[in-house]
Amino acid sequence: MEPTDAAIRVVVCDAGPLIHLDELDAVDLLADFPRVLVPTIVGGEVERHRPGLLARAPASMTIVAATTNLSGELAAVTRLFALHRGETEALRIALETKADLLLTDDTAARLAAGALSLRVHGTLGLLLRAVRRGLRTADETATLLESLPDRSTLHVGRALLAEVVAQLDRLR
Amino acid sequence: MTTAIEVRLPGELLSQAQEFIRGGWVGDLDALLTESLRRYLDSHGPALDEAFLREDVAWGLHGAD
Repeated sequence: MEPTDAAIRVVVCDAGPLIHLDELDAVDLLADFPRVLVPTIVGGEVERHRPGLLARAPASMTIVAATTNLSGELAAVTRLFALHRGETEALRIALETKADLLLTDDTAARLAAGALSLRVHGTLGLLLRAVRRGLRTADETATLLESLPDRSTLHVGRALLAEVVAQLDRLR
Repeated sequence: MTTAIEVRLPGELLSQAQEFIRGGWVGDLDALLTESLRRYLDSHGPALDEAFLREDVAWGLHGAD
């Protein structure tokens, strides 16, 4: 269930949303969060996929390393869901910092986050939140979503995409 | 029914798999690959992906923060 009171202060971001937002020239949307933490290993991964991305990212984004040992619970969840190192570090830092939100587009990482009682969303949520927050118009976002299959490696089924664009149309 | 396929695996991954088999945790490479694939498909199914995307849509358009 979504919290209804507190604002989002600390966000931990996995590679997927960074890469997908950059593909869509929308990495600025992360500036809406006061603190965005990116694990060191994720930083390396996104730079390999999108050179210069970190330089384009908002100033609120910081590259960080985990400071505690992997807990037994996290180690078990990591193995259970066969997570990669970047996803594991994102979960670890989210737990360490008591982050308000974890951003990932990886299904297994989302399942793992749920098992660890972490709140989690992905790129599509960020793009639509931008309309609600007045950072983009419904028109701009609908156009962006229509171009998603050609511009991004984020996979959203065509039927769902059309449904979301129709919802945005009603907001125009 | 089973089908034989040819796969190329990174050497390190294959070594880890062989160690796992030698340790008696699984019968053979066929069983390990079958179980790995089954688990992957269980955790990456389209229905699950869509459920997560719908959560994102609900939060994005109607969330409170």
